[in-house]
Amino acid sequence: MSGHLLDLFGLAHAISAFLLGVVKAIFYGLGGLIPPAVGPLQGVGDFFVSEWLVTLVAWLLAITVMLLWATMINLLTMMWIERKFYARLQDRVGIKIGLPSMDFLARIPLIGGLFRRFVRRPSHLGVGYLQNVADGVKLLQKENLTPAKADRFTFHAAPVIIASSTLLIFAAIPFSEGFTIMPNPNPFGILFILAAFGIAPLAILIAGWSSNNKYTLIGGMRSAAMLMSYEIPMLLCVIAVVVLTGSLDPFEIVRQQTVSLGEAIPLLSFLPSTSAAPFYIPNWFFIPQVLGFVVFSVAILAEQERLPFDLPEAEAELVEGWLTEYSGMRFGLVFGFKWLRALAGSALLVILYLGGWTGPGIQVASFNGLPIFLPFQELWFLLKIYLVFLVFVWVSWSFPRIRIDQILNIGWKQLIPLSLLTILLAVAMKGLGVYV
Amino acid sequence: MEWDLVAFVILSAIEVASAWLVITSRKLVHSVLWLAITLITIGAIYILLRAEFVGLVQILVYAGAVPVLFLFGIMLTRRKIMEDPHETD
Repeated sequence: MSGHLLDLFGLAHAISAFLLGVVKAIFYGLGGLIPPAVGPLQGVGDFFVSEWLVTLVAWLLAITVMLLWATMINLLTMMWIERKFYARLQDRVGIKIGLPSMDFLARIPLIGGLFRRFVRRPSHLGVGYLQNVADGVKLLQKENLTPAKADRFTFHAAPVIIASSTLLIFAAIPFSEGFTIMPNPNPFGILFILAAFGIAPLAILIAGWSSNNKYTLIGGMRSAAMLMSYEIPMLLCVIAVVVLTGSLDPFEIVRQQTVSLGEAIPLLSFLPSTSAAPFYIPNWFFIPQVLGFVVFSVAILAEQERLPFDLPEAEAELVEGWLTEYSGMRFGLVFGFKWLRALAGSALLVILYLGGWTGPGIQVASFNGLPIFLPFQELWFLLKIYLVFLVFVWVSWSFPRIRIDQILNIGWKQLIPLSLLTILLAVAMKGLGVYV
Repeated sequence: MEWDLVAFVILSAIEVASAWLVITSRKLVHSVLWLAITLITIGAIYILLRAEFVGLVQILVYAGAVPVLFLFGIMLTRRKIMEDPHETD
């Protein structure tokens, strides 16, 4: 088994203690320079290294690192994966703006020579990772329009609610045993993620109404109807997993997926057990819960408003759906945070059904007595998230859009009975002793 | 001064103020938004009282239920999307 590379809160605490120690040393030095004020200055210096202040700064640092990690690195990577992959599905090369396109770098007076190796003409030879950065800069330069007859307060409040509730999800999503904000025994982690997921439909409906436009209102209503009807099978599938594990803690759910399949299901005890590591089949819940896995994947696909279910912004009928009237960076915020919701949904799917951050790993070194494994847990988790997201992109650019009545029929008449059947299967497995 | 008490007073103040705004807002949709804020703040108070499960279920259930109310509010009351700001009533 592999271990985690980064202990987010421990690292943040060390950095915070170091920085505040520097501040304390500065105040002590000032006290040495100004002898009459030595007492008060040393008192101020001691205040800076008090335990609660160090802990507070450590929390703020940890939250900042998690936000930057989610919104800068992972959001850009998700968008890049989607745009590049669907271009390949459509037999195109796709976006190409990259480091070679930035030929102004080579003309910087002193350090330009460093970049001359990368920059070449024709400039469109990059892999396209910087295209999303360029689009973001373009959106920042655009004017932020508010429609004249819009309801100003709710029009401006809706993107804030969408963005903040989406970022709240990442407080509870652990990227490994150490890279997490909510610490290891987190008894209500999954419930917190689902509760934060559930706030966005309200904000989307408010955004659609407050733009004072027929298309945005229809888009918002479709979105609310769809998101709410697909949240129910999603929750019911989570209940089935919780019946098997007896816990809402993401760490506990992932830990129970590390035992081998033979130990979890006595009928399959001929399979190799955990002692035969690394050659055993782990008890990832998509094996005992295959129906729940399929239903949950479809529900997550709909929660992201991806293409087979993207009725809320069907551009052939509704211009751009509920975000038609948004412009500039406000549009960028609500549009880009869709990928953040996709990231959170994929992470939830991986935690619940695909073994989370577990995977084989070899210890290659140790640092401060802590072992370092080579495919470390963060790498496994990211790999699984991106693979799941790749399948979502593949599905969404291969299937045509379906009608609103078909969407609601699938949600209410097929997915909800199937997810109830999943709960029944889980209870039967647990009750009859098929699953330990 | 206890921090729990400070947090409780702030949350209760938000809750009472938004509950007041639910019944005094002139637009139905604003009332629904304030209602959502009231219910979510009640969830936050449950979490403050160490009843995390009840608090999170409160947020999960009511944040899901309020849009339904919203849809009824839009569809059953007025024909126009929004009132004309120049119109007096």
